[in-house]
Amino acid sequence: MLNFLDVYERALKGPIMSENDFDIKIFIPTLNKVVREYGIKYDKENPVPSDDKIADNLFKAAVDFMSQVGVYCQDTNRVIQFTQEEILEAVREAPGKCFVGEGKEAGVFGIRKPDDHQVPWLHVGSGIVTTSEEMAANKIESYASISEANSMSVAALDNIRGIPIMAGSPAELYAAIRSIKIAREAIQRAGRPGLPIMNLIATAASAVTTIAASAPQFGLRATDGWLCGTVAEMKIEFGTLNKVAYLLNWGANIGAETAPILGGYCGGPVGTAVVSTAYILVGLLVHKGNYQLHFPVHFKHGCSTTRDVLWVVSISCQAASRNISMPVIWLGYMAGGPNTKMYFYESAAWLLCAAVSGAPSVQTPHPAKAVLIDGFTPMECKFGVEMAKSATRFDRQKANGMVIRLLEKYESKIETAPQGSRYQDCYDVVTGKPGEAYVRLYNEVKEELAGMGIAFE
Amino acid sequence: MEKKQIFENLAMAIVEGDREKVKENAREVLNSRVDPLGAVEQGLSKGMATVGERFEKGEAYLPELLMAADTFNAAMEILKPEIEAQKKKVAKAGTVLIGTVKGDVHNIGKNIVATVLEIHGFEVRDLGVDNPSLYIIQEAEKVKADVIALSSLMTTTMPGQKEVIETLKEMHLREKYFVIVGGGPVTQEWADKIGADGYGRSAVQAVEIVKKLLAQKR
Repeated sequence: MLNFLDVYERALKGPIMSENDFDIKIFIPTLNKVVREYGIKYDKENPVPSDDKIADNLFKAAVDFMSQVGVYCQDTNRVIQFTQEEILEAVREAPGKCFVGEGKEAGVFGIRKPDDHQVPWLHVGSGIVTTSEEMAANKIESYASISEANSMSVAALDNIRGIPIMAGSPAELYAAIRSIKIAREAIQRAGRPGLPIMNLIATAASAVTTIAASAPQFGLRATDGWLCGTVAEMKIEFGTLNKVAYLLNWGANIGAETAPILGGYCGGPVGTAVVSTAYILVGLLVHKGNYQLHFPVHFKHGCSTTRDVLWVVSISCQAASRNISMPVIWLGYMAGGPNTKMYFYESAAWLLCAAVSGAPSVQTPHPAKAVLIDGFTPMECKFGVEMAKSATRFDRQKANGMVIRLLEKYESKIETAPQGSRYQDCYDVVTGKPGEAYVRLYNEVKEELAGMGIAFE
Repeated sequence: MEKKQIFENLAMAIVEGDREKVKENAREVLNSRVDPLGAVEQGLSKGMATVGERFEKGEAYLPELLMAADTFNAAMEILKPEIEAQKKKVAKAGTVLIGTVKGDVHNIGKNIVATVLEIHGFEVRDLGVDNPSLYIIQEAEKVKADVIALSSLMTTTMPGQKEVIETLKEMHLREKYFVIVGGGPVTQEWADKIGADGYGRSAVQAVEIVKKLLAQKR
């Protein structure tokens, strides 16, 4: 497989073009052509398809698409190109597993297949839903206390000593280091000091802050995991490549972070499905990732639970899990917020969709489109874990029927979804325990789901 | 060919994103001595409005918007010289300067808003991504913008939106511009907190807010 410097050289020597030309003259027309040539069709009636041939065809379309389009480097204005042979070689040599955590919490995060009854790797928490210093520790301790959780994400801080955090600023560096210290201490309080943090570093938007705050004296370990992003669609920049270079030299876990947007340059669901699958190839070839965080999302609704995005999640997850041995954490954004029934209906639908489609790992579905500060609680983590486990009892066909029933409960309300409650409004901030009302709501939803055949242990 | 048919053909070419067809129809406008400004307003703009409506309904996406805008520009290359020769001008609804704030490299949402604004007849100056606050203001001065539209997709870059507003105040320019904000983590609450004039959750909402603000100005 090409090594990182080989890939970087292509960023220096690949065909030169403006970003606009890459989008309009290469990306969009090639995607339209590939969709046509491979006959990719959106099945509105079946958000969870179960035909392996469709998934494998999508994988081939993604390989072809990637070989024709490549990845655009914004800093050099050149396209990093790969041949089909190189792409398939990377697929053959894909990592297959990711070693994370320390001591009792050390684990191996591997792969799954569609209809797999093995429980996915359970990743809890959220990085993108920000929190304040004062509440971070209790929340993180609660996430880490979920015994089934295999790894976690820790939240970004939104201010340090009252100073707002701006990307690339000294405040960002201070906050990044502080967030790591808070997280490590809180995880230790939960009695699981070796539990890996795999969304490093949420508070650090800039590469230089990430690299600086990753110095081992601040508490991070090579067995944690760092997220290295892409720019939509199919673009990369030096900040990410610098992070990758640093982590490769350290030998730390590299998580490619990718998020195709339905409604953006990908167009509708068929184009988004191709790009979603192609991104797993990008994670292998460009990021040199040994795991990936992947979250298709709808541009207009800002969530992952519209019917068309569920289809994209299912079919591209099937294409990837059947053909590419990359440990991928699949993540969804819910329109409904914490402490709402709508959040749980959406989460159930999304987790069913991902789990039966072969997702190697699922993360706690993010509430309220991840825009509400402190709008994330341990209750969502608990539900995510229980629901993911329950989902593995089903196959794609059965899950499809259940997802359709769940869609009926929330689909028409996506545009007016309730934002829900902040952590401090439904939890005791001192004890870190949920309020009675939220516990009641949770139990009501569990009963409803049990009535649908989705029973928790 | 009848004027009505020519206008319909222009509109259809925009909806189909067919550059060759629209150029052919634009040449027909000139050959038939049909009013070129009328052709823009009742032909091309109608087509753009149709694409805009389809986008809002979820029947069209960013690629269709971009193709429509590209096709529109192809027609304008042919019609604009004649419009100017007649000493007329295509009326613009206003000038919007749009950009992603400093430290943020995300641009899809901003690109969609910029394209939808163009479709609705606004002159748009797109600064791209990662723009320092002072640069945004200097460019707004240069293009005589009516509205400054700021995009941010990360909570850590949102303070950049506040910084632009604060810098406008320091430079005694706050009253000169409407400032609207948008982007994934941005909320109405945040917009109110930083003193923005408007917040749009979607591209179409952004256009409605810009129209409302400019109507107040007039």
